[in-house]
Amino acid sequence: MSDLSLRDGKMPLTQKLLELNWLLVLVLCIVASIGFAMLYSGSNGNLDPWASRQMIRFGVGLGAMFMIALIDIRIWLQFAYPIYIIALVLLASVEFVGTVGMGAQRWVDLGIFQLQPSEVMKIALVLALARYFHARNLEDTHSIRGLLLPVLMVLVPAGLVLKQPDLGTTLLLVMGSAMIFFCAGVRMRVFVVSLAAGLGSIPIGWQFLHEYQKERVLVFLNPESDPLGSGYHIMQSKIAFGSGGVFGKGYMQGTQSHLNFLPEMQTDFIFTMLAEETGLVGGAVLLFLYAVIIAYGMGIGIQSRHHFGRLVALGIISTFSLYVIINIAMVMGLLPVVGIPLPLVSYGGTAMMTLMIGFGLILSVYIHRELVIPKRFSGFD
Amino acid sequence: MSGQGIGRPAGVVLAADAGYPQRLQTAQLPGGSGAQDPFIAVSRGRLGIVAIFFGLAFIVISARLVELTWNDDGTGPRAGRENAARGVVDRASIVDRNGEVLATSLRSASLYANPTRVMDIGEVARKLARVLPDLSRDALVKKLTSDRSFVWLKRNLTSRQQWRVNELGLPGLSFQQEHRRVYPHGPLLAHALGFVDIDNNGIAGIERYFDDELRAPAGDGEPLVMSIDIRVQHVLRNELYNGMKAFRAKGAAGIVLDVHTGEVIAISSLPDFNPNIISASNDNARFNRATLGVYELGSVLKTFTTAMALDAGVVKLSGGYDATKPIKFDRYTIRDDHAKKRWLSVSEIFMYSSNIGSAKMAIDVGEKRQRRFLDRIGLTRKPTLELPEVGTPLVPDPWRRISTLTVSYGHGIAISPLQMTSAAAAMVNGGRMIPATLLKRDPEQVPEGQQVVSPETSKIMRHLLRMVVEKGTGRQANARGYSVGGKTGTAEKPSSNGYRDDAVVASFIADFPSDDPNYLLLVMFDEPQGNTVTHGYAGAGWTAAPVARRVIERIGPILGVQPVVEKQKADDTVLIMTNG
Repeated sequence: MSDLSLRDGKMPLTQKLLELNWLLVLVLCIVASIGFAMLYSGSNGNLDPWASRQMIRFGVGLGAMFMIALIDIRIWLQFAYPIYIIALVLLASVEFVGTVGMGAQRWVDLGIFQLQPSEVMKIALVLALARYFHARNLEDTHSIRGLLLPVLMVLVPAGLVLKQPDLGTTLLLVMGSAMIFFCAGVRMRVFVVSLAAGLGSIPIGWQFLHEYQKERVLVFLNPESDPLGSGYHIMQSKIAFGSGGVFGKGYMQGTQSHLNFLPEMQTDFIFTMLAEETGLVGGAVLLFLYAVIIAYGMGIGIQSRHHFGRLVALGIISTFSLYVIINIAMVMGLLPVVGIPLPLVSYGGTAMMTLMIGFGLILSVYIHRELVIPKRFSGFD
Repeated sequence: MSGQGIGRPAGVVLAADAGYPQRLQTAQLPGGSGAQDPFIAVSRGRLGIVAIFFGLAFIVISARLVELTWNDDGTGPRAGRENAARGVVDRASIVDRNGEVLATSLRSASLYANPTRVMDIGEVARKLARVLPDLSRDALVKKLTSDRSFVWLKRNLTSRQQWRVNELGLPGLSFQQEHRRVYPHGPLLAHALGFVDIDNNGIAGIERYFDDELRAPAGDGEPLVMSIDIRVQHVLRNELYNGMKAFRAKGAAGIVLDVHTGEVIAISSLPDFNPNIISASNDNARFNRATLGVYELGSVLKTFTTAMALDAGVVKLSGGYDATKPIKFDRYTIRDDHAKKRWLSVSEIFMYSSNIGSAKMAIDVGEKRQRRFLDRIGLTRKPTLELPEVGTPLVPDPWRRISTLTVSYGHGIAISPLQMTSAAAAMVNGGRMIPATLLKRDPEQVPEGQQVVSPETSKIMRHLLRMVVEKGTGRQANARGYSVGGKTGTAEKPSSNGYRDDAVVASFIADFPSDDPNYLLLVMFDEPQGNTVTHGYAGAGWTAAPVARRVIERIGPILGVQPVVEKQKADDTVLIMTNG
């Protein structure tokens, strides 16, 4: 492990491939395959329209992940700020040229393909914050001045995403960033004060929520109040869980999803479908696999000798974990309905790409974990 | 679940919370090399905390997963499975004893929209409101502007309505095939049948009690056969309804029971409701007075006191009691409403409904035997019937000495009309207590029943009941040709301070034909008011008894009861005390 080539990063490609965390890659593939199976079931035993496309996307994503994993982590450090700036510009441009999809402006048409800048920002923000804290020491994170810039780096994109409006992504950006701040060593009391301020501003923020967002929160607090309206998803979802029982109804036998009682089952509510068809057992297996992925991500972060890599790994795996936890808690009625997909399993192209790029970075951190990167790193000699 | 398994030893994690003792040294350390950097140590420790946090979150969602999928009623996934099938699977029909359909499911289509696919909300709302006039345009616009991808617009359309909506050719609208529960007889048997919710889940009545069985998978489409005869039901409800109107009563209940099989032939509670339009009813209308309501029914319970005393042998039919003056007991005084102020024979006590005589009979029987008898005829426990709406009786607790006296004439104990009917049937059917049922019983399915009084006592009771109708308080129930026996009960309703003399529960039990009765009828009115026909009396003899007569006159032919030419009763002399 501690041989010289690992420390200075001058590794041949074959060595890098050997260093790749193949077990993690395997688990990712298993989880994605569970997703394929569920999408196949969701369209009543057809590859169309979801499963086949999802497979292609995962394949492309896998390729991208390997490429990114093999790129020297210092390249990402070097280009962290430029990437962030580009993401910010894209995000701002949604305001002007964004196409409206599902009632919210979230997409930018780049000619060849459509891009969701908020997804790009999820990665870019992690890179930028990691870079910022990499160049600082503990003292800096204790001063207000040292925190001013990174806080701005979070709030500006968060505000733009909120305006789209996309409350779910906004919350994820803020919470994911908070994790990075936390691991960068920002003092506890800062979090306590921020949390208190955040809670205190809920009554004020409430007025700025959209009608549908207010409704979702209210219905979350009492889903039975409106079983045929907003509470519909959650009621049906709970029924599906109950009907799945311990061993499930059997693959492709879920009535809740197949008979359209569960709208959006291929995206946000796919875990419900899984639980209905494979029961507690299937749900627990998927949860376990997610836990394995998260444990790997955390482990890679802990093992990284350099701050940048640790914070990148942590930032990405935190966002991933939050997705998993929030989505599953939501479909089980523990949290309000926010449009957050289940990573690797839910149908959706952009989210899949973002995830695979993220895991590419985590793998890159792993390969380059023993690198020694000075605080004032500004590029290769 | 945390990252510790792969990372550094767990101790690193815990070091994090040690806080910042190293803080002062930080600046002095050369930046960025090796694990000695406190920055890195803190950061790794913090990462461990994050890992623990996520681990806890995973534990919470795992626990929730178990909670949702593990059904605690011990039936495992089965219960939930039925849940999921709700609203999808057809529901078995319910028919009466002759196969007449009481409840059935019709295929229907329900209209829903996916607002995200609707192109022009205004146009869709306008066109839909035109073909479905009961939907308002504004409400439609509101529903269609929602950001959900699924909103119900209208449940259970007729085929014609569905055709018209299809004809509009609007995208974003779709139909869900459903089965709509229909009750062809409307309110006729509302309380016993109950009703279902919009997803065809049984909510009340037999629909609820047999929800699982009715929801059995298609193919096993056998209808549920009730003991009800819808023709008898119609008469009962019709006469109760007329009576309730004539006496301006708050409510009414009626039951027709086959005394040999325990089958409920008709059962009605008023006011009632239309189970097809459940939203239009209120709680009062949905309350089942016949089975769920419990009432102090008064003198009708003397039937039991008399039978008990005769059966226990403490008094003979030829015997009698001194009813010259009221009984003083503790601070209570028990008096007769139509006091004869003389010795009364047992049959007179029953015929003239003497409280004093009944109380003295109960004293002779004794508290212990009395309570055992009430247990046996099912007045102290919740009875069994295939309905969720079955009331628990109110029995004196603690049982004081006065209770023995008051219960003997039907006060201080509140029972449901159902209990009254079942127990009274046992008094006239040869003495067997057969649990009532709402399901049709084949002869071999009829339970043996517990012998609660001897056949001889039962025979005497039939005779006594007949006398009440011939000569006593029940004369207005005398349906010619059907040899009706019966007993009245007029009980003042309890209020917060004592009993009200302006509000009574008037009830009448009748058996017919009295030589060998097949049926027992109960008629009860809640707070009837006297009218000109009754000369202002609201008592059972003036209200419940004539209604019972009209019911019997009409259902007798339906039930195939042969009219008899009535002979004048012979040995009345034996039964009446000659000396005053």
